Amino acid sequence: MDQFIEQIVTGLSIGSILLLVALGLSIIYGSMGIINLAHGEFVMLGAYAAWVFHTYLGLGLLASLVPIFLVVAAFGWVIERYVLSLLNNRPLDTILATWGVGIMLQQAVRLMVGSELRYVQLPPALSDSMSVFGIPVSSYRVFLFVVSIALFGATWLLMNRTTVGMKLRAIIQDRSVAASFGINAKRVYALTFAYGAGLAGLAGALVSPLKSVSPDMGTGYVVDAFMVVVLGGVQSLAGTVASAFILGELSGGIAFLQNDTVAKAIVLLAIVVLIRFRPEGLFTARVRA
Amino acid sequence: MPSHVPHSSGLQRLIAQLAPLLIVCAVVFALPVLLNNDFLLNKVARYLVLGILTVSLGMSWGFGGILNLGQAMSFGLGSYAMAMALKLKTVPVHTGASGLPDFMVWNNVQHLPWFWEPFRSLSFAIAAGLIVPALVAAALGWFMFRGRVTGVYVSIITLATMVVINLVIIDQQSYTGGFNGITDLAQLEIFGVAFDAYGRATYYLVAGCVLLSLLVAFAFTRTKAGLIVQAIRDHESRVRYFGYDVALYQIFVFALSAAIAGLAGMLYTVVMEFASPTFLGVQLSLSVVVWCAVGGRQSLVGAFLGAVLVAGMQGALSESAAFLETWTLVMGALFVLVVLFLPKGLAGLAQVVLRWIVQRRHAAGRGVAQGVGQTEGST
Repeated sequence: MDQFIEQIVTGLSIGSILLLVALGLSIIYGSMGIINLAHGEFVMLGAYAAWVFHTYLGLGLLASLVPIFLVVAAFGWVIERYVLSLLNNRPLDTILATWGVGIMLQQAVRLMVGSELRYVQLPPALSDSMSVFGIPVSSYRVFLFVVSIALFGATWLLMNRTTVGMKLRAIIQDRSVAASFGINAKRVYALTFAYGAGLAGLAGALVSPLKSVSPDMGTGYVVDAFMVVVLGGVQSLAGTVASAFILGELSGGIAFLQNDTVAKAIVLLAIVVLIRFRPEGLFTARVRA
Repeated sequence: MPSHVPHSSGLQRLIAQLAPLLIVCAVVFALPVLLNNDFLLNKVARYLVLGILTVSLGMSWGFGGILNLGQAMSFGLGSYAMAMALKLKTVPVHTGASGLPDFMVWNNVQHLPWFWEPFRSLSFAIAAGLIVPALVAAALGWFMFRGRVTGVYVSIITLATMVVINLVIIDQQSYTGGFNGITDLAQLEIFGVAFDAYGRATYYLVAGCVLLSLLVAFAFTRTKAGLIVQAIRDHESRVRYFGYDVALYQIFVFALSAAIAGLAGMLYTVVMEFASPTFLGVQLSLSVVVWCAVGGRQSLVGAFLGAVLVAGMQGALSESAAFLETWTLVMGALFVLVVLFLPKGLAGLAQVVLRWIVQRRHAAGRGVAQGVGQTEGST
């Protein structure tokens, strides 16, 4: 029984990291139809930003979260404004453009700070472990879980309870009608992309103490995050959350029985089969043409 | 000398379309005469193989509108099929009772696994190198295209599938050689001809396959099925309303492209003398997309040249590590610029320039009196 609970908790922990990384991706894909292959590089930038703030400015991880969000969001804003906005009607080409941007970011970081692994310290306040359902769990992982849920909540509020969110939803429904009502679609898109990028940066900063930081760390995360988005369906934030935790539990469980790779293979197989029968994702009620 | 844009007959147009392809192939075949250096020839053969791979992507992406980010998966599967057969032909130093490959002995595998057994036959391996990638692609395509998944979704799923297969190959070390791949291979020998990686025979084998795959791809784009595939790319639902089985055509072009990629993979093993998980890595797979985009996704010859030139340039620069790192940065920037401003790649640019020259000549023929502005109108 203890082992079972331990597995559940491990799955929740994996799921919360997946959610952190996938949230920004899901927003950008769901609202702009852009597959952002530079997402992994935004994650990487966030992790390096955490390292830079800690090493050169002596800031702790928690204190640097807000600046990291702003820095990576600024990157995202620039990229949307000067690259992606030129590709309005060519969704397939945005994949290529974002990938090219990703290569450049990765290589620029490699040239500037080298490809050695970097390490970020756990916040001292969260470095011990606590007991969850009688199972000892690292406090930091509990913290990640709480943060990922909080970020989801904030994003949901932003989309559904603010003017910017309302404008964005109007643009998603019909861009030209929205524009004729005086909504500046370009500005809203740029802000959305910046927000998604900022979330990726936060994700990178938050996972940096758990894994080492390297220029190519983003690639692994981004594929997992795509699976979350595919399973959850687009335009459904709740779907993203549910699928992140389902995938987390599945990977955790299968990895316990077999190993990590087998877990990934089985999860992918399940997703491919699922797509045949529910191409719109598990949690979307209907798709608009 | 015709004074108007000629209304050429079908045959003339066919010849005009085939001309760049045949010229490029003639150059490929003539190269060993000019290049008397086996080491360099081996390198060129490598770029030619990557060119074939890029042509296969051009088929599914440029003509079918299916952006397969996992094209290297088919390439890798072909490469492993060839490597498995060549590995069993070696006379290994450290072997178990039944001539087990060395890495299996190191991993304490007692018997040759069942899926290795048929690879004792080279013809089986060559058939497998074509059919296995095609079948995997067809199965994946069945799930995706029957589910009417399109566009960016297809790209993510193909990418994810490749990543997972790559991980499985690395993970199953005792059966696949894991991270190191399959090394120390025997030479390929067909009908008594030995294909040494640095020999002329191998180069001509590769050159022959370049010609073959370019012709197959070209022929396909001109068949009815090829035209329907292009129609699906441009307007999927309209083709569906005409009563065509859209998914079937998509699956077909997807599988055919995978088979050609598998062929390229087999050749790559012969030229490189090993198979490695990096052959189905994200890096290579995305590079293929870059080459295809730079060369021109809707031109088979353009895609081929894009791969040979860009990969060749990268190879030439890779002598110095610092240069290579800057090169990657430049490459990324170049790629973004091509995507933004040259969606048809260099082939598209060549077309524009060619048309401009032709128009200029016609304008000159007609005389200045007719005015330069009118030349804009003729197409």
